[in-house]
Amino acid sequence: MKETQILLVDDEVIFTRNLSKLLEVRGYEVTIANDGKSALRAFGETKFDVVVLDLKMPGMDGIATLEEIKKLGLFTETLILTGHGSSDTKAEADELGAYAYLNKPCDLDDLLAMIKKASEKKDYTEKRDDLDRLIKT
Amino acid sequence: MLERVRLNGEAVEKNGDHKHKTHYARLFRRFVLLTVVCSLVPLLLVGWGINIHYTRFAKSRLIDSLQTQLADHRKIVELFLLERTSRLSLIAQTHSRDYLSNVLNLNTVFEILNRQDGSYTDLGVINVAGRHLSYIGPYDLMDKNYTNAFWFKKVMEKGIFISDMFMGFRKVPHFIIAILRTEKGQKWILRATIDTEVFSSLVESVQVGKFGEILLLNRQGVFQAAPRFSGEIMGKAPFPVREIHKGVKIYVSESDTNEKTQRFARQIIAQTWLEEPPWLLMIRQDYAEALNEVNHANKVTLIFLHLSALIILIVTILITRHMITVIKKRDLEADYLNRQFMQASKLASIGELSAGVAHEINNPLAIILTERQILLDEAGQLPDLNTDFKVQFLDSMEQIDVQIQRCKRITHNLLRFSRRTQSVIETVDINEFIGEVVELMEREARTSGIKFSTDLEENLPTLRSDPSQLQQVFLNMITNAMDAHDGMPYGTIRIHTRSAENNRGVNIGIADSGSGIAPENLAKIFDPFFSTKAVGKGTGLGLSICYSIIQRLGGDIGIESEVGKGTEFLLFLPLEPPRELKESLMTKAKGEMP
Repeated sequence: MKETQILLVDDEVIFTRNLSKLLEVRGYEVTIANDGKSALRAFGETKFDVVVLDLKMPGMDGIATLEEIKKLGLFTETLILTGHGSSDTKAEADELGAYAYLNKPCDLDDLLAMIKKASEKKDYTEKRDDLDRLIKT
Repeated sequence: MLERVRLNGEAVEKNGDHKHKTHYARLFRRFVLLTVVCSLVPLLLVGWGINIHYTRFAKSRLIDSLQTQLADHRKIVELFLLERTSRLSLIAQTHSRDYLSNVLNLNTVFEILNRQDGSYTDLGVINVAGRHLSYIGPYDLMDKNYTNAFWFKKVMEKGIFISDMFMGFRKVPHFIIAILRTEKGQKWILRATIDTEVFSSLVESVQVGKFGEILLLNRQGVFQAAPRFSGEIMGKAPFPVREIHKGVKIYVSESDTNEKTQRFARQIIAQTWLEEPPWLLMIRQDYAEALNEVNHANKVTLIFLHLSALIILIVTILITRHMITVIKKRDLEADYLNRQFMQASKLASIGELSAGVAHEINNPLAIILTERQILLDEAGQLPDLNTDFKVQFLDSMEQIDVQIQRCKRITHNLLRFSRRTQSVIETVDINEFIGEVVELMEREARTSGIKFSTDLEENLPTLRSDPSQLQQVFLNMITNAMDAHDGMPYGTIRIHTRSAENNRGVNIGIADSGSGIAPENLAKIFDPFFSTKAVGKGTGLGLSICYSIIQRLGGDIGIESEVGKGTEFLLFLPLEPPRELKESLMTKAKGEMP
């Protein structure tokens, strides 16, 4: 089975480095982006299954990045992982179709479970879409 | 929290109370003074001014009229005397003594004289020896000798003489006009007596007001004509006659009282002296009567003026008092809003700060957590690890995790606090909620001898509402219910819950066994700043806040009360908050869900 591709977007460099190390050890393929723009650039090169996105970032923030990702129309699920959680941003993220909303500090096990679920959902929607297309043709 | 806010409010009110009282008293005085200065003072000044001017004008007119009247009368009297004297003089000059000594001739002359006005009582020709040569008249005077009579001496001296009133031989008041004629070296006198009644009527017939009169006096103060009130002809005047003067003199006499004639103490007097004979013509009028109309008009206008002034003053005071009450109320409201705003902004800024701190700590916590996990991962890879170290290592890792979780709890609590400053809609079990509130208040109630009894319906539906605001409402209601037992040794507060008809929500009743509320106060009970508690004890805001909270939450609040029996508050809370509140809070409420 192919490895789950994860895009990790957070302006905390040490956090992204640590988390990618932990995820890679657990068999995930991780790409790091430390701001919204490089995250969007990364989409040009790789097809990501799950995006782990911080909300508060300099320049393009998490919500704006999520909007742009949606515009690309790719099959990907987004997990919001932020230390700046508030009801307002949660509502916005929900509206934009974020899969889950997690608050920092988050236990690794919880995060892994969410990533797994998100990845499964992504696979499922992708397959369903393929089937739909097949039926249509 | 609620208690504290309430007490704070009262403290502020008490502190500012004295300052406010003097402030409003000063404002009141200033308003009243301003209105008085701007309206009453000019009104009174103009009123009094017109009054004084009018009085002066009326007095001068009265004096003028007295002067004219007096002058007219003087002319009448003088003309009367002059005419009589002239006629007699003409007769004396044109007729000889011999002719007039004949009684028949004298009678003819007498008749001609009297044909015109009948003012002569008798006519006589008298020689230098003082004896009548002839006489026509009703009295028998032919044998009388006048050499010693005062008038005889005077006429011999002066040639023409008009006497004062005197009794003479006939013992009747009369006066005479005597003319001396020197004919061929021989002197004789033509003497006529003037009809007292005809002469008197000149003076007596004149009416001056109700109590006014015209008097004619000689220099000794003896009446020359019968006065209306002051005495009788030939009588002595009850007042002294002053010096002879020229022209008309007007003065006010104070001392002249005559009880018999019921005259008035204050009289206005106008007088003038006739030239010949030197008689005093006097008009006396009661001062009050003379100025009666003026005084009356003055009295009416002054009463009206002062009544208007009084009404203006009263209305001013009432309006000002009302205005001050309104201002006071506005100020209190502004004060209250200010305090609310301060409290809200204080809480908001604390919330903002704590939220910021929590967020900033969360990021390093997350890093520490990942570092720990890496260390754990790495340690797991190393097979030959010193056992002691491994135990210590795992122990430390565990401790790091515990502390991180602790920090996490702290930051989450901070975030929750920051959210509590805003309205939050949560699921509320009313029965449980009431249980908590009662527990909170029970101790305080027990010290006042008040028991709680609850009758809570089982399987009551849960509500979606704002628990912190509901708490405020229940605490307020129960505090009020407890206060209603003031001065009573014991009491009961009964709380019941029922599901509302059609399962729309929940009905809650809070009944006390307190003093009750008077019917006239029931309608005002939810008004802001309405309080029946002693000044300084209640802000009058508790129930109005409850009312507005319940309204906002889409519920309803009612009251039933009987004086002496107690009061029951009936609350209705809907299952769901109203759409407007939901819309404004929905997004925030979602953020709170676990």
